[in-house]
This record gives sequence, structure tokens and C-alpha cells, in this order.
Amino acid sequence: MDACAGKYPILILATEDCSYPGANSVGQAHQNYPDNTYIIRTPTPALFPEKFYLDCFAKGVGGIIIMSCGVECPYEGAYPALAKRVNGIYALMKKQGLDIRRLRPTAICTVCNRAFIKEVNLMNQVVAELGAPGSEARAA
Amino acid sequence: MPNGDTQKFDSLVLGGGIAGLAAALDLADAGYRVAVVEQGATIGGKMIRLSKVFPTLDCASCITTSKMAAAAHHPNITLFTMCRLEEAQRVDGQVRARVAQMPRYVDPAKCIGCRQCEYECPVMVPDQEQGGFTARKAIYIPFSNAIPQLALIDREHCMMCGKCSQVCPTGAVDQLQVEQEFVIEADTMVLATGFELMTDFPARAYGNPGLGDNVISSLQMERLLAPHGPYMRALRPGDGKEPESIAFIQCAGSRDLQLGKPYCSRVCCMYAIKQAMLLSGALPLADLTIYYMDIRAFGKNYEQFYNNAKAMGVEFVKAKPIIAGNNQGGSVVLRYEDQEGGSGAKTREHDLVVLSLAMLPAFAPEEIVPVSSATDGFLKVPQPKLAPTLTDMEGVFTCGAAAGPKDIVDSIAEAGAAAMGAAKYLAARRGGQAA
Amino acid sequence: MSKLNNGQEPPKIGVYVCHCGGNISDHVDVASVVEQAGGLANVTVARDNSFMCSDPGQELIIEDITSGKVNRIVVASCAPALHETTFRGAIALAGMNPYLYEHANIREQVSWVHHGPGATGKATALVAAAVGKAGELEALEPIRVEAEAHATVLGGGVAGMSAARDLAAQGLRVALVEKSPFLGGQVAQLDKTFPSGEAAGEVLSALAAQVLADQRITVYTCAELSEYSGYVGSFKIKIRRTAPSGADLERLALVKDAQPGTFVPCVGVAAGPGPGEAEEVALVSGAIVLATGFEHYTPPMGEYGYGQMPEVITLPELIRLMADESATGEQLVVNGKTINNLALIHCVGSRQIPGVHQPGPDGKLNQHCSRVCCTATLQAACELREKFPETNVFELYRDIRTYGRGHEDYYLNAGRSGVIFARFTPEAPPVVTQGGEDSALTVTVPDKLLAGQELAIGVDLVVLAVGMEPRDNQALVEKMKLPVGADRFLLEVHPKLRPVELPAAGIYLAGACQAPMDTAEAANAAGAAAAKAGAILSAGFVELDPFVAEVDESKCVGSGACVQACLADEAIEMVDTPASKRARVNPALCMGCGVCVAACEQGAIELSGWTLGQYEAMVDAIVAQALRQGA
Repeated sequence: MDACAGKYPILILATEDCSYPGANSVGQAHQNYPDNTYIIRTPTPALFPEKFYLDCFAKGVGGIIIMSCGVECPYEGAYPALAKRVNGIYALMKKQGLDIRRLRPTAICTVCNRAFIKEVNLMNQVVAELGAPGSEARAA
Repeated sequence: MPNGDTQKFDSLVLGGGIAGLAAALDLADAGYRVAVVEQGATIGGKMIRLSKVFPTLDCASCITTSKMAAAAHHPNITLFTMCRLEEAQRVDGQVRARVAQMPRYVDPAKCIGCRQCEYECPVMVPDQEQGGFTARKAIYIPFSNAIPQLALIDREHCMMCGKCSQVCPTGAVDQLQVEQEFVIEADTMVLATGFELMTDFPARAYGNPGLGDNVISSLQMERLLAPHGPYMRALRPGDGKEPESIAFIQCAGSRDLQLGKPYCSRVCCMYAIKQAMLLSGALPLADLTIYYMDIRAFGKNYEQFYNNAKAMGVEFVKAKPIIAGNNQGGSVVLRYEDQEGGSGAKTREHDLVVLSLAMLPAFAPEEIVPVSSATDGFLKVPQPKLAPTLTDMEGVFTCGAAAGPKDIVDSIAEAGAAAMGAAKYLAARRGGQAA
Repeated sequence: MSKLNNGQEPPKIGVYVCHCGGNISDHVDVASVVEQAGGLANVTVARDNSFMCSDPGQELIIEDITSGKVNRIVVASCAPALHETTFRGAIALAGMNPYLYEHANIREQVSWVHHGPGATGKATALVAAAVGKAGELEALEPIRVEAEAHATVLGGGVAGMSAARDLAAQGLRVALVEKSPFLGGQVAQLDKTFPSGEAAGEVLSALAAQVLADQRITVYTCAELSEYSGYVGSFKIKIRRTAPSGADLERLALVKDAQPGTFVPCVGVAAGPGPGEAEEVALVSGAIVLATGFEHYTPPMGEYGYGQMPEVITLPELIRLMADESATGEQLVVNGKTINNLALIHCVGSRQIPGVHQPGPDGKLNQHCSRVCCTATLQAACELREKFPETNVFELYRDIRTYGRGHEDYYLNAGRSGVIFARFTPEAPPVVTQGGEDSALTVTVPDKLLAGQELAIGVDLVVLAVGMEPRDNQALVEKMKLPVGADRFLLEVHPKLRPVELPAAGIYLAGACQAPMDTAEAANAAGAAAAKAGAILSAGFVELDPFVAEVDESKCVGSGACVQACLADEAIEMVDTPASKRARVNPALCMGCGVCVAACEQGAIELSGWTLGQYEAMVDAIVAQALRQGA
């Protein structure tokens, strides 16, 4: 395991209706989670093209969690569009030798504190195990 | 607010629950200035305290917080929390309401909601916001998504140690605050005062020495199931054990002539089914039994929801059980006659029993507002068909559970209708004045 | 690449870091955050304050703006839900566009969840990210759409009339469009309404009188929507009216002097003679209320003997028989036959179960509960027992759903007045056969209340409590692209958040076209719909959030990928420009989901306020900061 693994940033794309307030709810409960996590607000993650994710990994982002509203998405049809896109990104990640565990879509509601922490810890473990983005391809 | 101050609005909405907020938002969106007067320390009503809501199973907080925030930020809405309506009369064509601002003992202009006081306070009090299952402090913010995010002191339990004052970064603690009275004048009023669950059910209905910790109300079960609930897991309160068998007793107080509540409380069938479904997710091995009189899954997609519960293995028994006592392990013994199984009385034990308690009106208008209540105690609507939200006081409307038990969907629809009634009344008056 | 402020000035970013009275500064070294922010590109001012939300805190921002030091603002403090609007307000107060603002959440997402040196690092990174985005911000203006002070209501039943009346009361002009020559819809079929017992005719007449008297409401009978286009504020509609014929002419002949407002029992309230010949009316409407109602379930031939045995009728048919004033006596008499015993069967065409019930001609089942039939059936049972005490009444039911206020009284009264109840399961429903001992028919049913013991009841009349099903709206659904649920009723956006709205702005639902409801509930829904429509139309314009897609025509190559991806109908269209085809967004129809952004390979379409360039700037800042700490 890479000793510095914790420092590869984890990007969290969080919907402003559900997951972003969910992350704040974790804060209000003063629960701890690793500090290499950076939460970015978005109306819906469906707006990011495949390239955005691949560029993030190329820049040095260790893992990306897409926290959406899931089926409660306020934009009719955006959630299925996102699910389809994630499959496409997985294919591209494999092509580039990126472990697909570095990208994880999940649904987090405004009070899903436990689920939030579980997802963050899980991704942190994955990034700790895999090290720098792209290093898994060189190792293989 | 100085004593005796008068504030003018187009409409006064009494009650900051989902019905009141929905009505206030509709009126405010139409350009009317609205005062929302709420007795509690936060808006959001019963709904913000629920876990998930039927039949969509979406998180109650996620739906309520957006309405709460919209009301809090709306330029046409002013929120008055911890305010009690003393009296409202129609005076000179206006609803003139005397309102008592109860003391928070915290200056709302200074408090930044940081909770430093709460962390330092040494007093622990059972937290009714969590069904009484956990503790809160004597100075506290009701819960994480309360609006406004302002602390208040529970003077009944505060021991005046002064720790909160010492740590407050803004000097907001003010133990000298006293109740202040002020006046709100408005053209119209919407009574959205909601409901409470029956509290005196067990003793009167069953004459039991005490039902024990493992008999809980449906609202307590909501807290056990909430993602930010007291135990963060579905445990039974008596001993923290994971219950293996959970029963719901429907019509606990409702449809019961002996208790004087002959009416149907309308939401209990659906929330019991919902709670059973959520429990089957949280405790996949638990046996779930709903003792019912009739299953009233009447709303949009409710029947399908009921069928899903049956398919998931929730057991439905047509019976009205009594609680016969507790066994040694703390489980609850029910005695009942299966109306469809014949062969006399049966006995069954459940680790946890949930009472689907009757909904009662939370507001008795007598001597406060000159509107009538009907024989069921809820506000009277003299034109139930074509103006279901109109009360018998001019320019005063009602919506939600104040006008009879109602689920969230129907309360919100009715809130829209009440807002419409108030808006029409306002438009007619303005038209009249202009002419 | 940095954008210019309103196309004039390069960004000068002010960063303001809040201590939150220790809530932040106890765990985050605010001085260090400020110092590092001060060194970032484009940052001209970096300050801190104990409480940025306080008046002195806001004053700092206002002063820096008015003195020209800054033209973009970043505040690092609590969660944006708490004070984003506060700071936008302060910026607007200083005369700057409030969208030139970005928020860094360093309390809920930093100081309250991380302690130790990592907290300061993360706060610094989040501030850097906000500065990165701020450099890319552009001034935005709310989108203003002119709104016609006119609404169209489709359907002239209780919901439609209530909606029309309520819309007109808000000063709007209203077109009320009704297919038949009469107003009143299905309620006209009723005798008395529950729970108050008001006569349906009186309820309808009172409502119709208000509608017909209102100068602002134009009633179009014998009319249907024939063309539809446009968007909120400006729907372009055509109404086709056809001359009444056949049965409609006969019904119209029942109206004395063709007087509008006359109630004809079981038909409705007259609203004029209808057009002499076909005509088309063009309207521009700011909003549309759908109140197209429901239909009663028609049992297929042979269901409980319906259509085969004349003694099997539906509940609406029974209500019509009982409404006949001449029907009096000890026993009900139908077609000259005395009814000694009568059975009411619940849930006919409702609560249907796959594998148990036969699907209808369209292959669909009515899995829903029809909500009103239990009370309506009990009301009929009570009235039968009262009027004809020697006619025995049996109710065969699955669950008694008298949920509404005052409804339970019918159930109690029915029991008290001697109505006999038997409960059946859908798998073992009652069976109706011809003949019996002293009776025309025999109904056999295993009664669950008697542990499944089979009852055989000799009856002279069987009444089927038929459910409500959605009206066949196919043409309208296709024309207006309306969403329909699995139950075939029109589908609202969200049952709690937006219960009377459709995804397309400006279109609302009222009454039983959405789901079964009773008269009062339909009136409520109509009021709610009218309130929403009134709120958006009364101002004369509709203001929409500026967070919608925007096309950069210099990059667009006209591939049409965005149109393909778009989730809203017609929010993006391809238009011809001198160069070639280009995408163009209709902001009134755009939901702001950004799915088109991901689809465009040229990066020619962006979501205002949430552009990819802004996100990339944020990621760059975060990575730079994180890797610096890691090194």
C-alpha cells in the first residue's frame, strides 16, 4: 500500500437537491470522514461528458463518487441517461487501464449520513489500494 | 419585537407544517405577503419528523426541507416561530390576531446556530424529537434540518449553570427574555394547525397496568426508521434488542365508538404498510404482522403499494387485538380473535408492537378564533363539496389535518385550494376597494 | 481563459473567509487560508471576519464592490443553503450582478468533519476551487417570458368548472372547453353527494351558474382541442367545435327554451345550443388546466352476469332508478318486479389482480382502488334501507374504505340499519347464477368473516359497484405529449412536491383525470391547479431560473446531438443560419439538466452557471492543492 495514498484526492459530484445537503447533514452530525474528499455541487451529474471523468483521472484525481438523487432525480430522464453514461465511462477506463472501482455512482439523500460515510470510506480504501491513478495499468 | 407592535400582512397562516407551508408558498408566489405563525421552535410540522413517505418511499426530509427552505427564503413570507395565537377576531374588516412570542432565551438576531452551547450544556433531557429514545441538551436546536437554525433553552430543565453563555461566540444567550405580545393584522387567515396522535389510548382502551417500553406509537416508529434516527438502526427501545417479530395494531383509537373517535384516521393503513416494508429491508428476517379492520389503500398507487407489501411477506390479520401483557423476555403478548380464522381467541407474542394511533385535532379554536369545530373535533367546513376549505368565519380558510385526518398528498392539494380561497377573497376585496 | 465581467473587465476576485465564531477557526487556520487565497490568480482582496453573515461582514463585501476593488465574490463559510442567498443579496445591494458569486463550504464540509492540519489544507483547496470557478463566472439574468393573462381549461365537470371559476377570480380570462353540449361531467349522473347529502343537481347548478355568469369565462361546448404548440405563457391552441348530433340533440331538446344554466338530471347543466356548424377557434393561453375526468368501468359481458341477466345492474344505474321520485313503498320495485333481496358487489373493475382478473380490451387491468365506490355503495345501501325497509341489502366487499370525513358514518349506519356484510377474496369472488328459491338470482360467496363458509343468497337484484378508470385521452395525450402512469391516469411530476403540475411548465392537472377522487377532492385539486396557474400568469410575465442550456454558435457544427439527447420536448431545435444548421435553446422549455452538455462533442452547449469550464477550473485547483499537500 502506498503510504501517501490518502492524499490522492477523491472528487464527489453531489446533486444540489439530495446529496450535497446529505453531505452537510454529516457535517451537522459532526461525523468524521477522510479529508482528501472534495465535494462539488451540481444540478445533475448527467451533464458531465465521459471526457470530464477521464481528464480528472489524468490530472491526478484518485477516485470519483457520483452522488445522485437516484430514482428521485428531479429531472425526468436524467438518471437513466447518467446510468448509461457511467457504463460508457467504465469501458473507456478499462481501455486506459484504469480500475473501474475508481468511479462509483450511488444515490445519497439529504439525511443519508451512514450511507455517505460508507461510500467515502469505501472509495478511500480503493484509492489507498490502487495508488496513483493509472498506476494499476503500469503494475499490470 | 417590542410589546404591542402591529404588523400587517395579506394573509396569516397558522401552522408551519407541510399544509401551512404549501398554502403560504402558493399565496406568496401569487404576490401576497404572508405571515406564518408556528407554535414550535421550527417549521416543518409532522412531516419533517417522518422517515420515508408512502407510496413513493422517498425520504420525508428531502421533500420537506425544500419546502421549508423555500418558505424561509421567500421575500413575501415572514416566519414567526415559537409564537402562540392568543386570539383572532375580525375587527374592521381585518383579521386581528394577538400573538405571543414565547421566549427562546436566545437572541435570534445573534444566534448563528453553531451549537457550541449545546455541546457544552451538561443537562440531558429525553429528546421528544427522537421519540424520547435518546437525550438532548437543555439548550438545543431541535434537529439538524430545523428552520430556523436557532437554539432555545428548555427552562424546565435548565439549571442556569451559565456554561452556554460562556461558550456562545456571539453572546446570544439571554436568560432574561420574557414573553412578548404583538399583533398581526391580515385580510385573510388559513388555519393549518394539523394533528396530534392520541396520547391516552392504552390506559383507557385496555386498562393495562402499563404497556411497557416495547409498545410504541407510530410516530416513534418513524424515528426508529429514520436514517438519522435515535439508534441509527431499528432496535426495540425496551432492551436494545433487534426485534424478530413486530406487530402493528391498526385503528388504535380510530373507528372506535368506545373511545369516542368513530372516524377513520385515514393514513394509518398506509404508514403501517410502509413501516412494515422499511422494516423488512432493515431486518430481513423479522416477522411483520399488521392487525387490521379494513385495509384502506385508497389513494393513487396505494393499492399497488399494499400488494407489494403482501408480496414481500408482510402478514395481514383481520383482528383488533388487545395487549394482554409482557412476557419475561419483554415481548408483548397480544390476544385477539381472527375474524377470518374462526375458532375463538388466540394469543401471540411480538418483540415490538406499534400502535397506529388515532389522529386528533391539534388545535381547539374555542375562545381563540370564532370558527366552529365539528363533532369530530376538527374544524367545521360548511360547504364540504364546492368550497372544502372555507370555515364559518369570513375570510378564514383551513387545510390539511386541521380539517380532518389527511395524508400528505391530500393535505398539499388542499393547501393549494385554501390558498386559492384566500387569494380569491383578497382579489375580491381589492377589487371592491378599488371600485 | 478568463471571462470578462459583463464583457468589460477582467476578473478581480474578493475572497472572504468566515471564522463562524470559532466553528470554523477552531479547526481551520483562517489566517493561512486567507494568505494562500491572496496569492491565487485574479484575487485582488482576501479578508476574514468573525461572522461574514453579520451586517459588518456583508458591509466588507459591499464596500469592496462599490470602491471597485472586486467584481467577483467568493465567501468561505457555512453550507450555501444557509447564506448563499444572503451574500447574493448583499452583492445585488452593491449594484453587482448576484450571479458573480461562488460559495465555499468550509464549515459543514470541513471544520465540522475534519480536525487537525488536513482541515486547513482542505479549506484552502475549496477556496481555491471557488476562486477557480469565480474566474469563469458570467453575469446571468433571469429569463423572462411574456405571459398571456388567459388560461384554457379542458373539461367541463366539477374540476374543470371549479378551476375556471378560480382562475377567473384571479382576473384571468378563461376558455372552458367541454366535449359534450353540457357542463357537469360525471357528477350529473349522481343523485345525492356524500357526506353532506347535497343534491348533485344543486351543487352543479350553483357552480355552473357562477361559471356562466362570469364575463371572463368563455364556455366552448361540443369542443375539443385540435392543435397545440408553444410553452408556458404562450400556448397556441386551436379548439374545434362540432354541431351537436344524435343523442346530444335529443338531450338538448330536453332543455326548456334552450336556457343556459338549466340542470337536466343525469345529463348536466345546459350551456347553450352548441354551434350550428363546425368551427375552429384559435387561442393564445398562458396556462392549460387538464380536467378531462374519468369514465365508469363497464363490466364485460358476463362479469357477475352483467349483460346476460337483466337483474344485474351497475351502481350508477341503481342511483338513477332510486332518484326516480315515484319509487316509493315498502320494497324497491324495478321493472315491475319487487326486490326482496338485493346484493351490492364492491370492487368491480377496481383492485384487479394480474392472473385473477380478465384484462380489459386494451389488455390492461385496473389495479388501483377507485376510492369513492365504498362510500357511494354504502350511501346507496343506507338510502335503500331507509326508503324501502322491506328490501334486504347484502354488501359483498373486500375492504370497506370509508376513509373520508363523515364517510365512516355511512358504514356505521348501514350496519345499524340491517345491511348484511360478507367479505370475499379476489380469488374466490361471488358467483351470480340465474334462478333460486323465491328469487330471480342466487349469489354464492365464501364469506371470510365466517371462516370461508359458503353463503348462498337468493336475490332479485345484483348491483355492481363499478370503479373509475381513466378516460380514453389518447389523442390529447399524443398531441400534448402528456405523461401517463402505469395506471393509465395522467401523471403528475411528484405526488408531494408538485402534485398538480406536469413536467412541462404551465400545464396543470385537476380532478379525476389524475386519479380517482370524489367531488370535494376534485374541487380541491382544481383550486390547487388554479392557484399555481394564477401565480405564474398574474404578473404578465414568467420569470425562469437562468440556469439553462446556452449554445455557442461559433462552436456549434449542427450535429444535432444535443437535440437527440435532450430530455424535454422541443427545448432545443435546429435552426438555419447563413452558415449552416445551428442548435438553438428555448429557455422556456429547458429544464436545465445539462444532458445536452455531455452529448456535444464540440463543447458548444453549456449550462449557464454550471459550465464545464467552471468545473474544470475547480478540479484543477483541487488537484493542485491536494498534490501539494501530499508531496
